[in-house]
Amino acid sequence: MLNRGEVLKLVRVVAETREVEIGCDECFERLDSFAETELSGLEASAAMPLVSDHLDKCADCRSTFDALLTALRRT
Amino acid sequence: MRDRTNEQWLAELRGPNPGKALADLYDLLVRGLKAALGSYRGGVEANVGDFAQEALIRITGNLDSFRGESRFTTWAQKIAMNVALTELKRRRWRDVSLQDLFAQREAADRGPAAPQLTPEELALQNMVLRELQRMVDEELTDRQREAVVAVLLEGMPISEVARRMGTNQNALYKLLHDARRKLKRQMEAASLSPKEVLAAFEEG
Repeated sequence: MLNRGEVLKLVRVVAETREVEIGCDECFERLDSFAETELSGLEASAAMPLVSDHLDKCADCRSTFDALLTALRRT
Repeated sequence: MRDRTNEQWLAELRGPNPGKALADLYDLLVRGLKAALGSYRGGVEANVGDFAQEALIRITGNLDSFRGESRFTTWAQKIAMNVALTELKRRRWRDVSLQDLFAQREAADRGPAAPQLTPEELALQNMVLRELQRMVDEELTDRQREAVVAVLLEGMPISEVARRMGTNQNALYKLLHDARRKLKRQMEAASLSPKEVLAAFEEG
C-alpha cells in the first residue's frame, strides 16, 4: 500500500515525465562532454537538455556526474 | 605527468611501449578517485588502487569507443568513477533482497492522516490514494511495479535493482520510463492533475 509520502514521491516523478527521455547508456556516452561544458562556465543544460533531464531523474548517473566533476576540479 | 593531446594518449596506449602512458593514467585516476570519493565512509581509500586498475582494463579495452568529444583524460576519469561507484553501491546494498524489501512494505504501518485535515481534504486524499494505488496495482506490469517500488519509492539504485531483476541499468531506466508515462496517462484519464494532487498532499 502507498502511504501519503509516497504519493508525493510518485506524483512528483510522474509530473516530470517526458515522452522522450534518453537512457543511462546515452547519458553516460555524453557525460564527459557535458562535464567539460559545465566546467567551462557554459550552460551545459541548455547545450544538452536531454542529458541534463536524465541527470535530474537518475540518481545513479547523477552520482557518477558529481564524482566526475569533483575529480576534474581537483586534478 | 606530462601533458598529452588526445592523439598522443591514443598513440602511446596503442603503441609498442604503453608503459609510461599507463603509469601516468593510473596516477591520474587514483588522484581523481581519491578526490571524488574521499567523503565515502568505510575503507574506500584502500580500494582506490583496485578501482583504478579495473578502470584501466576497461579503458584500454575500449579505446575505439572514445569519440574525441572531450579530453581523453576526462573520458578516462568518467569510466573510473563508474567502475568505483558501481562497486560501492554493490557493497552498500549487498545484504538487501527485493523480496525482503517488498515483505517489509507489506508489514509496515502506513501511518495516520495528518490530524489537522478537514473531512473534505481527508476525503480528497483518500480518493487520490485509492486511485493511484489502483493504477500501480492494475495498470503496471509486475516488473514495472517492482521497479517503481524499489527505485522510486524505496530509493534503491537503478543498477542494483537491475542486477536483482536480471537486466541492466539502461533497460531498467527504460522500463521505469514506460511505467511513469503509463501513470501519467492514467492520471490524465482520471482527471487527476499532478499540480492539484501535490497541493492537496503538501498542505496536508
